[in-house]
Amino acid sequence: MTLPVLICDDSILARKQVRKSLPESFDAEFQTAGNGLEALAVLRNQEIGLVFLDLTMPELDGIGVLEAIKAECIDCFVIVISADIQPEMQKRVMELGALAFVQKPVNEDKINVVLKQYGFI
Amino acid sequence: MNKLGFTEEQRDCLQEIINVAMGLASDKLARFLNTFVHLQVPSIALVGAMHIPAEFENRYQDAEAALISQGFFGNEGVRGEAIVLYKMENAHKISALLGYEPDDVSEIEMLTDISSILTTTFLNGLAAQIENSLSYSAPRILSSRHGNVADVLKNTSFHWEHALKVDISYQLVDHSFNCDMILLIPGEAVTNIKNILDRILEAF
Repeated sequence: MTLPVLICDDSILARKQVRKSLPESFDAEFQTAGNGLEALAVLRNQEIGLVFLDLTMPELDGIGVLEAIKAECIDCFVIVISADIQPEMQKRVMELGALAFVQKPVNEDKINVVLKQYGFI
Repeated sequence: MNKLGFTEEQRDCLQEIINVAMGLASDKLARFLNTFVHLQVPSIALVGAMHIPAEFENRYQDAEAALISQGFFGNEGVRGEAIVLYKMENAHKISALLGYEPDDVSEIEMLTDISSILTTTFLNGLAAQIENSLSYSAPRILSSRHGNVADVLKNTSFHWEHALKVDISYQLVDHSFNCDMILLIPGEAVTNIKNILDRILEAF
Protein backbone atom coordinates (compact mmCIF):
# COMPACT_ATOMS: atom_id res chain seq x y z
CA MET A 1 0.00 0.00 0.00
CA THR A 2 1.40 3.38 -0.98
CA LEU A 3 2.17 5.56 2.03
CA PRO A 4 1.62 9.32 1.78
CA VAL A 5 4.87 10.91 3.00
CA LEU A 6 5.78 14.53 3.70
CA ILE A 7 9.40 15.68 3.68
CA CYS A 8 9.79 18.99 5.51
CA ASP A 9 13.11 20.86 5.39
CA ASP A 10 14.09 24.37 4.36
CA SER A 11 17.02 23.00 2.39
CA ILE A 12 16.43 21.56 -1.07
CA LEU A 13 19.61 19.51 -0.68
CA ALA A 14 18.41 18.04 2.61
CA ARG A 15 15.04 17.08 1.07
CA LYS A 16 16.88 15.36 -1.80
CA GLN A 17 19.17 13.60 0.67
CA VAL A 18 16.12 12.10 2.39
CA ARG A 19 14.60 10.94 -0.90
CA LYS A 20 17.87 9.42 -2.02
CA SER A 21 18.37 7.59 1.28
CA LEU A 22 15.04 5.79 1.09
CA PRO A 23 15.11 2.19 -0.18
CA GLU A 24 13.26 1.06 -3.33
CA SER A 25 11.10 -1.23 -1.24
CA PHE A 26 9.64 1.82 0.50
CA ASP A 27 6.37 2.35 -1.35
CA ALA A 28 5.47 5.99 -0.87
CA GLU A 29 4.01 9.06 -2.49
CA PHE A 30 5.99 12.18 -1.66
CA GLN A 31 5.16 15.77 -0.91
CA THR A 32 7.56 18.43 0.33
CA ALA A 33 7.35 21.49 2.56
CA GLY A 34 9.96 24.23 2.98
CA ASN A 35 9.12 25.22 6.55
CA GLY A 36 6.87 24.33 9.47
CA LEU A 37 3.92 26.45 8.35
CA GLU A 38 3.87 24.79 4.93
CA ALA A 39 4.04 21.41 6.62
CA LEU A 40 1.07 22.15 8.87
CA ALA A 41 -0.96 23.39 5.90
CA VAL A 42 -0.45 19.97 4.29
CA LEU A 43 -1.02 18.00 7.49
CA ARG A 44 -4.29 19.79 8.28
CA ASN A 45 -5.77 19.10 4.86
CA GLN A 46 -4.47 15.72 3.83
CA GLU A 47 -3.92 12.29 5.24
CA ILE A 48 -0.16 11.92 5.73
CA GLY A 49 1.19 8.67 7.12
CA LEU A 50 4.77 9.69 7.80
CA VAL A 51 6.64 12.99 8.12
CA PHE A 52 10.39 13.45 7.84
CA LEU A 53 10.84 16.64 9.83
CA ASP A 54 13.79 19.05 10.15
CA LEU A 55 14.02 21.14 13.33
CA THR A 56 15.92 24.34 12.54
CA MET A 57 13.74 26.13 10.00
CA PRO A 58 12.47 29.65 9.31
CA GLU A 59 8.80 30.67 9.86
CA LEU A 60 7.95 27.75 12.13
CA ASP A 61 10.53 25.26 13.41
CA GLY A 62 10.16 21.52 13.85
CA ILE A 63 9.34 21.82 17.54
CA GLY A 64 6.42 24.09 16.61
CA VAL A 65 5.21 21.48 14.12
CA LEU A 66 5.41 18.69 16.70
CA GLU A 67 3.51 20.82 19.22
CA ALA A 68 0.77 21.56 16.68
CA ILE A 69 0.50 17.89 15.67
CA LYS A 70 0.07 16.98 19.32
CA ALA A 71 -2.36 19.80 20.14
CA GLU A 72 -4.51 19.19 17.10
CA CYS A 73 -4.33 15.39 17.39
CA ILE A 74 -3.12 15.05 13.82
CA ASP A 75 -2.68 11.37 13.07
CA CYS A 76 0.77 10.79 11.58
CA PHE A 77 4.18 9.38 12.45
CA VAL A 78 7.13 11.78 12.61
CA ILE A 79 10.79 10.98 12.13
CA VAL A 80 12.93 13.99 13.04
CA ILE A 81 16.04 14.52 10.93
CA SER A 82 18.17 17.27 12.39
CA ALA A 83 21.61 18.79 12.81
CA ASP A 84 20.65 19.93 16.30
CA ILE A 85 21.91 16.88 18.12
CA GLN A 86 22.01 18.15 21.69
CA PRO A 87 20.76 15.40 24.03
CA GLU A 88 18.17 17.75 25.49
CA MET A 89 16.76 18.45 22.03
CA GLN A 90 16.54 14.74 21.24
CA LYS A 91 14.72 14.17 24.51
CA ARG A 92 12.34 17.04 23.76
CA VAL A 93 11.31 15.77 20.33
CA MET A 94 10.73 12.27 21.69
CA GLU A 95 8.58 13.69 24.47
CA LEU A 96 6.58 15.58 21.87
CA GLY A 97 5.75 12.28 20.22
CA ALA A 98 8.35 11.81 17.49
CA LEU A 99 8.97 8.20 16.54
CA ALA A 100 12.71 8.58 16.10
CA PHE A 101 15.59 11.04 15.85
CA VAL A 102 18.07 10.79 13.00
CA GLN A 103 21.26 12.85 12.92
CA LYS A 104 22.02 14.83 9.78
CA PRO A 105 23.40 14.29 7.23
CA VAL A 106 21.10 11.33 6.52
CA ASN A 107 22.19 8.28 4.61
CA GLU A 108 20.65 4.94 3.63
CA ASP A 109 21.93 3.11 6.70
CA LYS A 110 20.55 5.58 9.22
CA ILE A 111 17.14 5.74 7.54
CA ASN A 112 16.87 1.99 6.95
CA VAL A 113 17.47 1.18 10.61
CA VAL A 114 14.55 3.38 11.63
CA LEU A 115 12.21 2.31 8.83
CA LYS A 116 12.85 -1.36 9.62
CA GLN A 117 12.48 -0.86 13.34
CA TYR A 118 8.99 0.58 12.90
CA GLY A 119 7.88 -1.75 10.12
CA PHE A 120 7.76 0.74 7.25
CA ILE A 121 9.87 -1.60 5.12
CA MET B 1 23.03 34.77 -6.77
CA ASN B 2 25.35 37.03 -4.80
CA LYS B 3 28.25 39.16 -5.99
CA LEU B 4 30.69 36.30 -6.25
CA GLY B 5 28.29 34.12 -8.11
CA PHE B 6 27.22 31.12 -6.13
CA THR B 7 24.24 29.65 -7.95
CA GLU B 8 21.09 29.17 -5.87
CA GLU B 9 21.75 25.40 -5.80
CA GLN B 10 25.33 25.94 -4.61
CA ARG B 11 24.17 28.36 -1.92
CA ASP B 12 21.49 25.94 -0.68
CA CYS B 13 24.03 23.13 -0.62
CA LEU B 14 26.61 25.18 1.30
CA GLN B 15 23.94 26.44 3.69
CA GLU B 16 22.92 22.88 4.56
CA ILE B 17 26.53 21.78 5.02
CA ILE B 18 27.05 24.76 7.32
CA ASN B 19 23.85 23.95 9.25
CA VAL B 20 25.13 20.47 9.95
CA ALA B 21 28.57 21.79 10.97
CA MET B 22 26.90 24.39 13.21
CA GLY B 23 24.82 21.68 14.85
CA LEU B 24 28.00 19.81 15.80
CA ALA B 25 29.66 23.00 17.08
CA SER B 26 26.59 23.96 19.12
CA ASP B 27 26.41 20.52 20.68
CA LYS B 28 30.07 20.85 21.74
CA LEU B 29 29.46 24.37 23.05
CA ALA B 30 26.38 23.22 24.99
CA ARG B 31 28.42 20.45 26.62
CA PHE B 32 31.26 22.86 27.40
CA LEU B 33 28.92 25.43 28.96
CA ASN B 34 26.72 22.73 30.45
CA THR B 35 23.59 24.36 29.09
CA PHE B 36 21.16 24.13 26.20
CA VAL B 37 21.83 26.16 23.09
CA HIS B 38 18.93 27.36 20.97
CA LEU B 39 20.03 27.03 17.35
CA GLN B 40 19.05 29.43 14.64
CA VAL B 41 19.54 29.17 10.91
CA PRO B 42 22.91 30.87 10.33
CA SER B 43 22.98 33.37 7.51
CA ILE B 44 25.87 33.00 5.13
CA ALA B 45 27.29 35.28 2.47
CA LEU B 46 30.35 35.21 0.28
CA VAL B 47 31.87 38.69 -0.05
CA GLY B 48 35.07 40.35 -1.17
CA ALA B 49 37.48 40.35 1.78
CA MET B 50 38.05 44.10 1.33
CA HIS B 51 34.42 44.72 2.33
CA ILE B 52 34.78 42.88 5.61
CA PRO B 53 36.03 45.75 7.82
CA ALA B 54 33.12 47.99 6.77
CA GLU B 55 30.60 45.16 7.29
CA PHE B 56 31.56 44.78 10.91
CA GLU B 57 32.46 48.35 11.80
CA ASN B 58 28.88 49.31 12.67
CA ARG B 59 28.02 46.23 14.64
CA TYR B 60 31.09 46.47 16.86
CA GLN B 61 31.67 50.21 16.77
CA ASP B 62 30.68 51.16 20.29
CA ALA B 63 31.42 47.85 21.87
CA GLU B 64 34.50 46.35 23.39
CA ALA B 65 35.26 43.45 21.12
CA ALA B 66 37.55 40.48 20.99
CA LEU B 67 38.77 38.79 17.83
CA ILE B 68 40.31 35.37 17.78
CA SER B 69 41.79 33.94 14.64
CA GLN B 70 42.83 30.46 13.60
CA GLY B 71 44.37 29.33 10.31
CA PHE B 72 43.23 26.12 8.61
CA PHE B 73 44.40 24.15 5.62
CA GLY B 74 43.26 20.95 3.94
CA ASN B 75 43.33 19.05 0.64
CA GLU B 76 42.19 20.35 -2.76
CA GLY B 77 43.36 23.88 -2.01
CA VAL B 78 40.86 24.41 0.78
CA ARG B 79 42.57 26.81 3.18
CA GLY B 80 41.94 30.02 4.98
CA GLU B 81 41.64 31.75 8.27
CA ALA B 82 38.68 31.61 10.65
CA ILE B 83 38.00 34.65 12.80
CA VAL B 84 35.47 34.66 15.61
CA LEU B 85 34.30 38.05 16.85
CA TYR B 86 32.72 38.63 20.23
CA LYS B 87 31.36 41.55 22.12
CA MET B 88 33.00 41.63 25.53
CA GLU B 89 29.65 42.21 27.26
CA ASN B 90 28.72 38.70 26.09
CA ALA B 91 32.03 37.36 27.35
CA HIS B 92 31.35 38.72 30.84
CA LYS B 93 28.10 36.74 30.99
CA ILE B 94 29.71 33.53 29.82
CA SER B 95 32.72 33.82 32.10
CA ALA B 96 30.36 34.21 35.05
CA LEU B 97 28.49 31.10 33.88
CA LEU B 98 31.71 29.11 33.63
CA GLY B 99 33.15 30.43 36.86
CA TYR B 100 36.17 32.14 35.31
CA GLU B 101 37.80 34.91 37.32
CA PRO B 102 36.31 38.26 36.28
CA ASP B 103 39.53 39.68 34.90
CA ASP B 104 40.69 40.40 31.38
CA VAL B 105 43.28 37.65 31.14
CA SER B 106 40.86 34.93 32.21
CA GLU B 107 38.15 36.17 29.88
CA ILE B 108 40.45 36.19 26.89
CA GLU B 109 41.63 32.72 27.81
CA MET B 110 37.99 31.60 27.97
CA LEU B 111 37.18 33.17 24.60
CA THR B 112 40.20 31.45 23.11
CA ASP B 113 38.88 28.12 24.43
CA ILE B 114 35.38 28.77 23.10
CA SER B 115 36.73 29.93 19.73
CA SER B 116 38.86 26.87 19.42
CA ILE B 117 35.89 24.61 20.18
CA LEU B 118 33.63 26.46 17.75
CA THR B 119 36.15 26.81 14.96
CA THR B 120 37.61 23.32 14.98
CA THR B 121 34.29 21.51 15.54
CA PHE B 122 32.60 23.61 12.89
CA LEU B 123 35.40 23.20 10.34
CA ASN B 124 35.86 19.49 11.06
CA GLY B 125 32.12 19.02 10.48
CA LEU B 126 32.36 20.97 7.26
CA ALA B 127 35.45 19.05 6.12
CA ALA B 128 33.87 15.65 6.82
CA GLN B 129 30.92 16.50 4.59
CA ILE B 130 33.12 17.58 1.70
CA GLU B 131 35.39 14.58 2.29
CA ASN B 132 38.34 16.70 3.25
CA SER B 133 40.40 16.90 6.39
CA LEU B 134 41.86 20.02 7.92
CA SER B 135 44.81 21.01 10.05
CA TYR B 136 44.86 24.06 12.26
CA SER B 137 47.34 26.58 13.52
CA ALA B 138 47.19 27.76 17.12
CA PRO B 139 44.56 30.41 17.83
CA ARG B 140 45.76 34.01 17.86
CA ILE B 141 44.19 36.83 19.78
CA LEU B 142 44.01 39.73 17.37
CA SER B 143 42.55 42.42 19.50
CA SER B 144 40.40 43.28 22.36
CA ARG B 145 39.01 46.41 23.86
CA HIS B 146 40.12 49.36 21.80
CA GLY B 147 37.08 49.79 19.60
CA ASN B 148 39.16 49.48 16.44
CA VAL B 149 37.62 46.32 15.04
CA ALA B 150 37.64 47.67 11.49
CA ASP B 151 41.39 48.41 11.60
CA VAL B 152 42.21 44.99 12.96
CA LEU B 153 40.06 43.31 10.31
CA LYS B 154 41.70 45.43 7.63
CA ASN B 155 45.16 44.32 8.73
CA THR B 156 44.10 40.70 8.88
CA SER B 157 42.06 40.45 5.73
CA PHE B 158 44.04 42.58 3.29
CA HIS B 159 45.97 39.69 1.80
CA TRP B 160 42.89 37.53 1.30
CA GLU B 161 40.56 37.88 -1.67
CA HIS B 162 37.32 36.44 -0.38
CA ALA B 163 35.48 35.93 2.82
CA LEU B 164 32.65 33.63 3.77
CA LYS B 165 30.65 35.42 6.41
CA VAL B 166 28.71 33.18 8.77
CA ASP B 167 26.44 34.98 11.18
CA ILE B 168 26.05 32.85 14.25
CA SER B 169 23.65 33.49 17.05
CA TYR B 170 23.57 31.25 20.07
CA GLN B 171 20.87 31.70 22.60
CA LEU B 172 21.57 29.94 25.83
CA VAL B 173 18.75 29.07 28.20
CA ASP B 174 18.99 32.26 30.16
CA HIS B 175 21.68 34.22 28.40
CA SER B 176 21.98 35.28 24.86
CA PHE B 177 25.36 35.05 23.27
CA ASN B 178 26.11 36.22 19.79
CA CYS B 179 29.27 35.94 17.83
CA ASP B 180 30.26 36.23 14.22
CA MET B 181 32.44 33.85 12.37
CA ILE B 182 34.33 34.95 9.29
CA LEU B 183 36.15 32.50 7.09
CA LEU B 184 38.76 34.29 5.01
CA ILE B 185 39.63 32.27 1.94
CA PRO B 186 41.74 32.84 -1.17
CA GLY B 187 40.23 33.01 -4.65
CA GLU B 188 41.28 29.54 -5.74
CA ALA B 189 39.70 28.09 -2.60
CA VAL B 190 36.34 29.59 -3.65
CA THR B 191 36.66 27.90 -7.04
CA ASN B 192 37.57 24.64 -5.32
CA ILE B 193 34.64 24.93 -2.93
CA LYS B 194 32.28 25.55 -5.85
CA ASN B 195 33.62 22.46 -7.62
CA ILE B 196 33.10 20.42 -4.47
CA LEU B 197 29.53 21.73 -4.10
CA ASP B 198 28.82 20.86 -7.74
CA ARG B 199 30.15 17.36 -7.13
CA ILE B 200 27.82 16.95 -4.14
CA LEU B 201 24.88 18.33 -6.14
CA GLU B 202 25.59 15.99 -9.05
CA ALA B 203 25.07 13.02 -6.76
CA PHE B 204 21.38 13.94 -6.41
